[in-house]
Amino acid sequence: MIYKVSYVVIGKPNLGSIVNLDAPPRVGDRVQLGNEMCEVIEVVDLIPPREDFAYLHVTCRPVDEAG
Amino acid sequence: MSVTEYLQQSELFSGLTSEQVEQIVALGHEVFYNTGDAIIREGEPSDEMYVVCSGMVEVTVSRGAIPDVPGPPQLTSIARLGQGQMFGEMALVDRGARSATVRCVQDDTVVYVIPRQRFWDLCDSDHTIGYIVMRNIAADLSFKLRHRNLQMRLGGGER
Repeated sequence: MIYKVSYVVIGKPNLGSIVNLDAPPRVGDRVQLGNEMCEVIEVVDLIPPREDFAYLHVTCRPVDEAG
Repeated sequence: MSVTEYLQQSELFSGLTSEQVEQIVALGHEVFYNTGDAIIREGEPSDEMYVVCSGMVEVTVSRGAIPDVPGPPQLTSIARLGQGQMFGEMALVDRGARSATVRCVQDDTVVYVIPRQRFWDLCDSDHTIGYIVMRNIAADLSFKLRHRNLQMRLGGGER
């Protein structure tokens, strides 16, 4: 299965990314989006899977340097 | 990993056999980019579409030149696209000018370039390939629109 993931960062309208992954992101994961380190806070199916693809929406929040 | 293997992981080619993917691969070529390189520019004519084999690109749109304010238009990032993502497909479908600028944001990014006319010729000669690929392009455009809607809703900007 290939996971096509839409990343959106709360309060950061210009940090969104779309990438294909081999494994689904999980809540609590940290991911680098642009120059910002972010934490995954929600993972949901965006649309039903089709053929070899699953389509996920991931909501993230920025992690401050101390975090 | 070969170009064909990379491209088989792109939604553009989902549902095609390896032989059918090879037919499309035969139409195009790889191009390597480094950070800051412009791949396509907003407003320019278009005759190709692109698939990211590896690396990352950033899509930006201009917010328009402001009268009486010198300098270039302000560019706003609307998405970053990584491995397996396509761009330039709008112009492939509607033959319009480029609607956004796409720059490389990661060194050694590899992009596969597919010329529009050769691609259309293949779709015209093999309707099975044409139907599957056009369905996949439509699905990708829909996904990008959903992504953008969520970005507007959660990102908190009118950008």
